[in-house]
Amino acid sequence: MMNRIIRRIQRFKGWFGAAAAFCIFYGLYLGLFDSPPDYYQGEVVRIMYVHVPLAHTSLMAYASLFLGSLWYLWKRDPLVDNMCQAAAGLTVIFTALSLITGAIWAKPTWNTWWTWDPKLISFAILLLIASGYLMLRTFVEDPDKEGRYAAVLAIVGGIDLPIIYFSAEWWRSLHQPLSISMRGVSMTGDILLPLSIMSLGLNLLFLYMLMVRTQMLYLTNLLQAKKGRLLSQVHLTQTSS
Amino acid sequence: MTGFYLRWAGVIVMAITMAVLANKNYQEHLASISPEAVLAGEHSHATLRVQGMVGSGSLTGSPEEGHAEFELLGETKHLKVQYQGPPPENLRELKTLILIGRWDSGSQVFQAQDTALVTNYGFVASAYLIAFLVLVASVFSMSRKVTCLFQEIKESKLYEPELETHVEHR
Repeated sequence: MMNRIIRRIQRFKGWFGAAAAFCIFYGLYLGLFDSPPDYYQGEVVRIMYVHVPLAHTSLMAYASLFLGSLWYLWKRDPLVDNMCQAAAGLTVIFTALSLITGAIWAKPTWNTWWTWDPKLISFAILLLIASGYLMLRTFVEDPDKEGRYAAVLAIVGGIDLPIIYFSAEWWRSLHQPLSISMRGVSMTGDILLPLSIMSLGLNLLFLYMLMVRTQMLYLTNLLQAKKGRLLSQVHLTQTSS
Repeated sequence: MTGFYLRWAGVIVMAITMAVLANKNYQEHLASISPEAVLAGEHSHATLRVQGMVGSGSLTGSPEEGHAEFELLGETKHLKVQYQGPPPENLRELKTLILIGRWDSGSQVFQAQDTALVTNYGFVASAYLIAFLVLVASVFSMSRKVTCLFQEIKESKLYEPELETHVEHR
């Protein structure tokens, strides 16, 4: 079933890319030109419009890896395994970018590039888990074991997601708490709109990249399989002659 | 591959347009000049953003009085400033800030209407550039690899129609 859904969604890949580009360009316009500067931070607050959406997208990337891994362990669908591998690579990209832009924002506001804050530490751990997932896949030779071990690692690593999300609430933290929660929304509309559009744009970009990367891994595997089949045919012809 | 490169050319044109607009907006609305440049008349806009330090012992007036006067220090010269309206709380002596207002060349007094914080735009620009350069490079390399793989499968002798729908895993 999941295999069919992925194949069907792949047909609309281009639309996801176009929608992502539109939302990102519109979000950039609103964030850089239209939204007001912050009273305390001034213009530096505009980094928020790229940092926060990147952080949301990296959480979404890992969530899709987590759910895909659960599905793979249940159904052993190779296409879902490709999707998980693709999601892990994208988690590394988005998490690293989120940490880098966060450090750039922290320097003028906290006067330091890095601090041992629970949210920052748990985010760095997410980067290590996703990198470890990719490393594990390169170390294991057997494709079936590779997929299984990697899925187990992704599921165990899923415990980091709620820690990241609620860390600013659970512990006394330098990082600001959730702006959108059960308590309500603690930001004005002219900040919320560009932030939401950029988040939507980057989430759509993630979905587009996930489709392209899944296709890339699928085609690579297909090519390897075809090459292997051809080689075995040549080998059979040579041995029979 | 031509269609692929054409699509990417479109994306690059849009990105360059965005960068040009951002730079134009910065030059027109956000770039600040020094008190020396104001006194020398090196400005073309009616509303100016002047960056300097509020001179020690020069600040008179209060929010209750609804106005303030002070001197804004540059590297070599200072500018007489009249702040119209109640001065904000961040208007203090020895504080470096940006004043937004108009230059009255007749009375040689800068008529300030608002203040802004001094911003290092390098942080904002570097955050956006790093994020989007990495993302665009990743999308480009992945899309190109997919296009190349499709071509390799179609053009090489490896191509043969799949008989079964199930795809082998490695």
